[in-house]
Amino acid sequence: MTARANSVIQAHSVVKAGAAAKWFAAILVILYALVTMVPLVWIGLTGFKSPPDSIAYPPEVVFEPTLEGYVNLFTTRSRQTDEYIASLGPAETWYDELVRKRNMVITGPSRFIDRYTNSIVIGFGSTFLAVFLGTLAAYAFSRFKIPLKDDLMFFILSTRMMPPIAVAIPIYLMYRTLGLSDTALGMIILYTAVNVSLAVWLLKGFIDEIPREYEEAAVVDGYSRLQAFWKVVLPQARSGIAATAIFCLIFAWNEYAFALLLTSGEAQTAPPFIPLIIGEGGLDWPAVAAGTTLFLLPIVVFTVLLRKNLLRGITFGAVRK
Amino acid sequence: MSDPAIPMLARSAARAMPSGLAHRLLSLSDKGIAWLFITPTILLLLAINIFPLIWTVYLSFTNYRANRPGQVIEWVGTQNFERLLGSEDVWGYLQATANFVCWTMGLQVVLGLGLALLINRNFKGSGFWTTVILIPMMLSPAVVGVFWTYLYQPQTGIFTYIVNLFVNVGALDMIGSVQLAPWSIIIVDTWMWTPYIMLLCLAGLRSIPDYLYEAAEIDRAGPLQKFWYITLPRVLPFLMLAVLFRGIENFKMFDMVVELTSGGPGSTTELASINLKREAFEKWRTGYSSAFAVILFVTVFGLGNLYVKALNKVKQ
Repeated sequence: MTARANSVIQAHSVVKAGAAAKWFAAILVILYALVTMVPLVWIGLTGFKSPPDSIAYPPEVVFEPTLEGYVNLFTTRSRQTDEYIASLGPAETWYDELVRKRNMVITGPSRFIDRYTNSIVIGFGSTFLAVFLGTLAAYAFSRFKIPLKDDLMFFILSTRMMPPIAVAIPIYLMYRTLGLSDTALGMIILYTAVNVSLAVWLLKGFIDEIPREYEEAAVVDGYSRLQAFWKVVLPQARSGIAATAIFCLIFAWNEYAFALLLTSGEAQTAPPFIPLIIGEGGLDWPAVAAGTTLFLLPIVVFTVLLRKNLLRGITFGAVRK
Repeated sequence: MSDPAIPMLARSAARAMPSGLAHRLLSLSDKGIAWLFITPTILLLLAINIFPLIWTVYLSFTNYRANRPGQVIEWVGTQNFERLLGSEDVWGYLQATANFVCWTMGLQVVLGLGLALLINRNFKGSGFWTTVILIPMMLSPAVVGVFWTYLYQPQTGIFTYIVNLFVNVGALDMIGSVQLAPWSIIIVDTWMWTPYIMLLCLAGLRSIPDYLYEAAEIDRAGPLQKFWYITLPRVLPFLMLAVLFRGIENFKMFDMVVELTSGGPGSTTELASINLKREAFEKWRTGYSSAFAVILFVTVFGLGNLYVKALNKVKQ
């Protein structure tokens, strides 16, 4: 099994292309990559624009950068008269000063930090649980004879295919009855259930690749099955577990439908919150862009870290590079 | 979930009492371990997926409304299904969904396969640029929808500006106009997910052994023949896997479109999931929307079955 997988990996074909063909390919691919980056770069830039600059036409590529968007993202403000602002005395901090230029005063922090923290707590909590349960199940599926193994694996995968909105109706009712609506615990359990299928499929692939001989040798040396699992298999599967964890984390981080329907005040995560930033006093695009940037940046970093395992992750471990 | 660290627990127990229980824990039979390891996952999925599924099926035969908890639940038979399948609006939503799925898949297959063929020429730096191209598909679809509303601003957005650099069409109201709104979501989805198709095609291309091309060369096959008789048949299973998976995902599409057009204008971009959310969580017609959910389930489950068959084919 493993040997076969390896031989597939080594059989990579390299189409020998002429120099001109290579140049042609490179130019087209780079062109596509640059076009595909325009929206993201534009959002990154907009975060540093002032609100008037953000709606200028033609769009401004060169502008005076300001942190107004980020200040607006993290604070709530109220509009005040010139006299009132003058009566406050000189601004104490740079962000006070920035806000007062627009006839506003800061009235307190915004809820963005809460939402971001919720995203982190729910993301890491559900990832830990999903990877933990997934590792155990994947090991069992990989090493033991289990009746109806293929059917169970299909069952596990099929739960991932369900449309979230369709599952959300009964889960909404169930959580209302159990008092789990709008709690971090409820969201962690839910995301664990969605992610565990991915974790099982991915980790089974990784564990399949660890030669059984290692464990068998350990058992011959007097280890029990469990000890062999703990001391031999787990350390070998470390990088696979890490990659799986990142995939689970990205899913939980990006999830929107359940978060929108099942949370409101307490446990709301960042994705349903970001569009709400637009609200007050017209369209504050720089603040939205700032929030978007802060939210997407970790994912960009993770994508770069994951690039070798990306293919596995998005195909439930079926296709290995 | 009381088995977080069985081995650890077993070892500390073993230290405390050298025989008896600890011994039994450490020498669990393989069968025992297998069930111990699998059961928590299966139980969780039963509780969070299967139980709700059964509940949905039950509710789909009732007139229950979730915003009136005290109301007596009445069994209405297949009335919800009859009303759904007889409604022209529902067919409209399904058609909008099919339209979205077909166009996005068509565009992404052409672009994705094309890109994969180019990247497979292994020019210098192709690895770096591939990673750059992959970034959009990992982002949160809802947040992508939010920031594209900014890019799509009719008067001031950069999308209008860039299009006008090439063709002078004036302000483009991508989200607000009935003709353009379906394209607005197709463009964003294509921007986001072409890398997915590309990555799978690339895996297919890299699985083709060189000797096939060398043999073709000896037989004096032209580049078109090589593509048709060697490349395409080898890439096709990967391509189909990608299309099937993305097709299922787009059939369920919710988050990106809700944030971008929220189904409008009118109901031009009201995909099945979006209508389902409206019926279930705005109009609170729980029974009726459960029936709609069941219809979507059955479709997705059928497609999912095909997906797993394709998976197994690729694996071989």
